[in-house]
Amino acid sequence: MAARYYDGVTADVQDVMLKITTQELLICRPADSSVVVRWPVADMVVLGDSHHEAAPPLALRGSDARLVVEDPAWRAQLVSVVPALKPLALEPVKVGPRLGAYSLAIVALVGLFWNAVEYGSEYAVPLLPYTLQAKLGETVLDELLADKETCQGRAGLAAINRLANDLAGEAGYKHEVTVHIVEGGPVNAFTLPGSILVFYSDLITQAKDSSQVAGVLAHEIGHVVHDHPIKGVARAYGIDLLFKVLTGGYSDILSTFGTGGSALLAMRNGRAFEREADATGVRLLEQRGLRADGVSTFFEQMLEKEPADAATAAGIWSSHPPTRERIESTKRPPTGRPAFSAAEWQALRNVCK
Amino acid sequence: MYAIYLRHLAMMLVTLGWSRFWGRTRIRRYVWNHLSVLGDRFEYRGHGRELLIGFLLALLVVAAWSGLMYLVWRYVFHEKPFASFGLFDLFSLSVVLIGFPLAYVGHYAGLRYKLSRTRWRGIRCGMAGSAWGYGATATFLQFANAMTGYLLTPVVSVNLARPRIVNARVGTLGFIFAGRAGDIYGRYLGYYFLNIAAWVAAAVVTFMAIGGTIETLGISSDEFLKLFAHPSLRTVAAVLLIAVGAYLLFGLLILPLRCWWQAYLLRYLVTHSRAGNVLFATAISTWQMWGFLVLNYLIVLLTLGIGWPWVMHRTMKLIAGQLWIYGEPRGSEIRQPADRGPGYGEGLLDMFDVSGV
Repeated sequence: MAARYYDGVTADVQDVMLKITTQELLICRPADSSVVVRWPVADMVVLGDSHHEAAPPLALRGSDARLVVEDPAWRAQLVSVVPALKPLALEPVKVGPRLGAYSLAIVALVGLFWNAVEYGSEYAVPLLPYTLQAKLGETVLDELLADKETCQGRAGLAAINRLANDLAGEAGYKHEVTVHIVEGGPVNAFTLPGSILVFYSDLITQAKDSSQVAGVLAHEIGHVVHDHPIKGVARAYGIDLLFKVLTGGYSDILSTFGTGGSALLAMRNGRAFEREADATGVRLLEQRGLRADGVSTFFEQMLEKEPADAATAAGIWSSHPPTRERIESTKRPPTGRPAFSAAEWQALRNVCK
Repeated sequence: MYAIYLRHLAMMLVTLGWSRFWGRTRIRRYVWNHLSVLGDRFEYRGHGRELLIGFLLALLVVAAWSGLMYLVWRYVFHEKPFASFGLFDLFSLSVVLIGFPLAYVGHYAGLRYKLSRTRWRGIRCGMAGSAWGYGATATFLQFANAMTGYLLTPVVSVNLARPRIVNARVGTLGFIFAGRAGDIYGRYLGYYFLNIAAWVAAAVVTFMAIGGTIETLGISSDEFLKLFAHPSLRTVAAVLLIAVGAYLLFGLLILPLRCWWQAYLLRYLVTHSRAGNVLFATAISTWQMWGFLVLNYLIVLLTLGIGWPWVMHRTMKLIAGQLWIYGEPRGSEIRQPADRGPGYGEGLLDMFDVSGV
């Protein structure tokens, strides 16, 4: 049995012959069969195994010396005498079935992970401590409002906060909603974690009537009661993690690819959230017997201003569904009580003055 | 290697990435032991738990840094954002600022760890020198290079290669590096100006090709954008067309130039290094470098990462085929070092850099 022996003290290499008994391994010079060293079998260890190493080294416990037997047949012979050295010559695995099994497992796990992110966030995210969500929302709000003027009209703020909490209460939402109004544009509103709503005053001043502001507010309450902001964060994080895990951090190219994919998926989630918020908003207004046509008339007004419709043009890259689709799905008759009293609406119109 | 890699990938999914330390170790064991010099195989003796400890320590550093930034936010900024620069921006910017030098520190420390876990003929390899010193030098040189329009690249390449080469050890045998930036400046300047010309040519060709193609196909720019907003089979065709165009443009015009320089730099660094009486050489050509860089890139991209073991195999084959060694080391003069290397490793590399095997 030929092998290469390294004494662990210097980088000298010796071609040696091996003689093995159940008690010890004799490492001998091939020329005269003189013994280089004796290794007690009980102190011998295999470093690694033949599934990973082409020729797993044999070592003597507590020493840096190594013995490498290149020939698999001789390694098998060693194992037949000393079964404890089994990792030297493990049964060769059938690579084909193993590759197939791992590939299937990976596909199944990706599917499982995907569903866990998609549906798990639906149920797990609302369990996050509300104080944490509120802290996150407040921190983002502070940054967003840092260089902006907010409107302080007490009566106007009271009116919009009253309606916001009425609508949230109608949905059985337990936390208090706070609406902030930022002076100026764009004509927009958004929701942050922790039941924080931000309206831009241009949306209020450019609204044709109070039902449009109520419609937008109801839509935002839809986001609040469905925990969309925090679910969005959780899903984006989950999908990002999936890409990271799959690409294993081995390639910048794939990370870039993954980032693009994550962005697309976030947009898709965004569109689903918007549809749900539209439906919920209209339903809440109707349940309270309030005029619910404001959502669709607001969208019609937006479409008049921008007939090309950025959401339609952006397609899969848009975070919002096409405006025409939203108009159709939220269209309601102009019936029901006004959401704001005349005095409230007046106060809201003057909230920044 | 595919079986090991796919197992690693499946475990990554099950453990949300936490098995990567053990996965990397298994892959390294495979790669190291399938590479030999003068008939003697390398041995990798690292453990996954050492990488985990390294990562947890780096995590602690980041946590401490986050705490510090929170205190700055609270007592310097008094929790009031400056313009729209808030807590998140402060944290992100500060992490980028420390992450840049720490990535270099991590590179060096990671190399030290890998070498300390590598054995050849039973002898441990190692790395002397300070990772922090290397990090400071690398940060300064890269910054200076960026400030001078990358005209200092030869200085940066040689001065960052030197500490990594001369501090590396196989047992008690050290390496010597005799390279000087001045030797390679002529080639670099040639590459530098040819590269600018190539980019200008590529930009002109791109504009002409895009304009011409769109006009020929009778597509307006709105319709062109619509293709990507609402995907269909035509989108797939357009993406393929763009990919082929980009490949032709960059793969055949820009990258060969880069490979011309990279192959030259690699030949220079290798031929100016030696270990005792062992000399190193390589005749790696521009074409081989192109095959290595461009094809590896395409393999990873087109297989969505699954081709990574193939890339690793190609890389190792290139190293084995192109790194030539002249002279036999005097084995009896290379002794086992007393130093066993760091007890953990690669935390910073894992935290601040994309860490390959």
